[in-house]
Amino acid sequence: MSIGHLLSTLVCFTVLLLPFDSMASEEEEFDAVHHTADAYYLDFLPFAKVELPRLFIVRHELSGTQLLAYSSTKRALQSGEMLPYPDHASDEPHDDEPHTASPVDLDALITSGKHLDSKLIPREGALLLDLSITKHLVFSILASGILLTIFIRLARRYRRGIGRTSAPKGVFQNLFETLIVFVRDDIAVPNLGKENSDRFLPYLLTAFFFILTCNLLGLVPFGATATSNLNITAVLAGFTFVLTQFNGSKDHWKHVFWPPDMPVLVKFLLIPTEIMGLFTKPIALAIRLFANLTAGHLVILSLIGMIFTFTQLFGEVVGYGVVPISLGFTLFVMFLEILIAFIQAYIFTILSALFIGMAIASHSHSEAH
Amino acid sequence: MLFGASLLSANVGLIVWLSVIFLVTLLILRRYAWGPITSALSEREETIASSLNRAEEALAESQRLQESNAQAKREVEQEAQKLLREARDEAQSLRDRQVERTREEITSLREQALLDIERDKERALQSLRDEVADLAILAAEKILQGNINSSSQRALVSQFIDDLTTSDRSQSPSAQA
Repeated sequence: MSIGHLLSTLVCFTVLLLPFDSMASEEEEFDAVHHTADAYYLDFLPFAKVELPRLFIVRHELSGTQLLAYSSTKRALQSGEMLPYPDHASDEPHDDEPHTASPVDLDALITSGKHLDSKLIPREGALLLDLSITKHLVFSILASGILLTIFIRLARRYRRGIGRTSAPKGVFQNLFETLIVFVRDDIAVPNLGKENSDRFLPYLLTAFFFILTCNLLGLVPFGATATSNLNITAVLAGFTFVLTQFNGSKDHWKHVFWPPDMPVLVKFLLIPTEIMGLFTKPIALAIRLFANLTAGHLVILSLIGMIFTFTQLFGEVVGYGVVPISLGFTLFVMFLEILIAFIQAYIFTILSALFIGMAIASHSHSEAH
Repeated sequence: MLFGASLLSANVGLIVWLSVIFLVTLLILRRYAWGPITSALSEREETIASSLNRAEEALAESQRLQESNAQAKREVEQEAQKLLREARDEAQSLRDRQVERTREEITSLREQALLDIERDKERALQSLRDEVADLAILAAEKILQGNINSSSQRALVSQFIDDLTTSDRSQSPSAQA
């Protein structure tokens, strides 16, 4: 390995470790779960911590439903219209009585940075919907923007005739064409059949590339993995669920509500199972994607955290000794994560195609299936 | 409960946001990206498939043509061979006939010549015989002028002439004709 390689590797790791460095210097407790979870700020530590806008839909008894918008959590609290929900609320019997913090308490809370972790509730009226922008939402929007940029540009090339009548040119076009053809020929067509695959191909392609982009964005320094958020994977699985149910054939529904070729008693046993089966499929989709992406990040963070844990437990010398082992494992898991980013995008897409394919299939039950 | 501390916390706002974002992305991409791209890809695949088909057809066609060309060439060669053989045979028989005729002609000519020679010889002999007779008579006259009375001498002359005639007749029978 040349010195150049060594240097670039070191620089990469330095960038990766910057947030941890800041944690150590601020003597914060290292919390891998906290880092992986969604938040109302973008983490550019040690340079900056950018608070994201907060949007609330609040129903007021007098002024009706209104939208409250603030540029950051700090502003929302300082406006006095929103109050931090106390951490120990669960201990108190009166949950609906907001904790009225004094301005001094509020300043202390903001200075400590803990205001970002507290739930906000309106001083007056009831909170209908918290539409605040979160870290994972920002990265979802970023992924969506990347998809739009890449594929509309790619489509423009095809419109110009490159790849339509001639061979595709360049790395950009060849790379994405390979992936698109892969989704079409290895995911959509085998599960949906040639005549149906065109109908669902746009969804499958969008899901594949959206998940892939989100997964990969999590591996970028200062990035976050939107797909390690259960809400986001649930939305994606929800799209698959809706597509599956709305395109279900007569056979699909018959299979669910009156399973054929069975004794009547068994049918009554099977019907609840089948109905549950409708929901377990998308739930499994959502949890699989969420768990895989979260686990990878937790493992990486825990491996790096080992350095700090060992330093705290056995002193600095042991801590330095752990560094190479910890970084070696981290590097390995990082490569694994790249692999997982592709594999999970593939699995989500192929299972979606499989579920839709099963639902749209029409077959007579005298045949074996 | 801290918001950030939970990986499993539900966030309805986020669900609403993402549903809208994903749906919009899906619709825009379907209209402006996936549609043109997949149609271009299938168009290209059809073009390639049809070109391959056409190439295969052209290949088969050219092979068929080549086959028929070779067949035609073979036929023509056979025809040429046949013609050549016929011509050679013809020439051979013509020459044979010619030779035969020539030989016949030569034979007949020789026979003719032999006949002519025989006739000429006969004629020559005849004239010679006449000449000899004349000479003999002349000689006889000369002798007679000397001693014509001598009958024995006359008999001698006659004897001589007879002898001439017989010896001539025994040598060539055709001289008599």
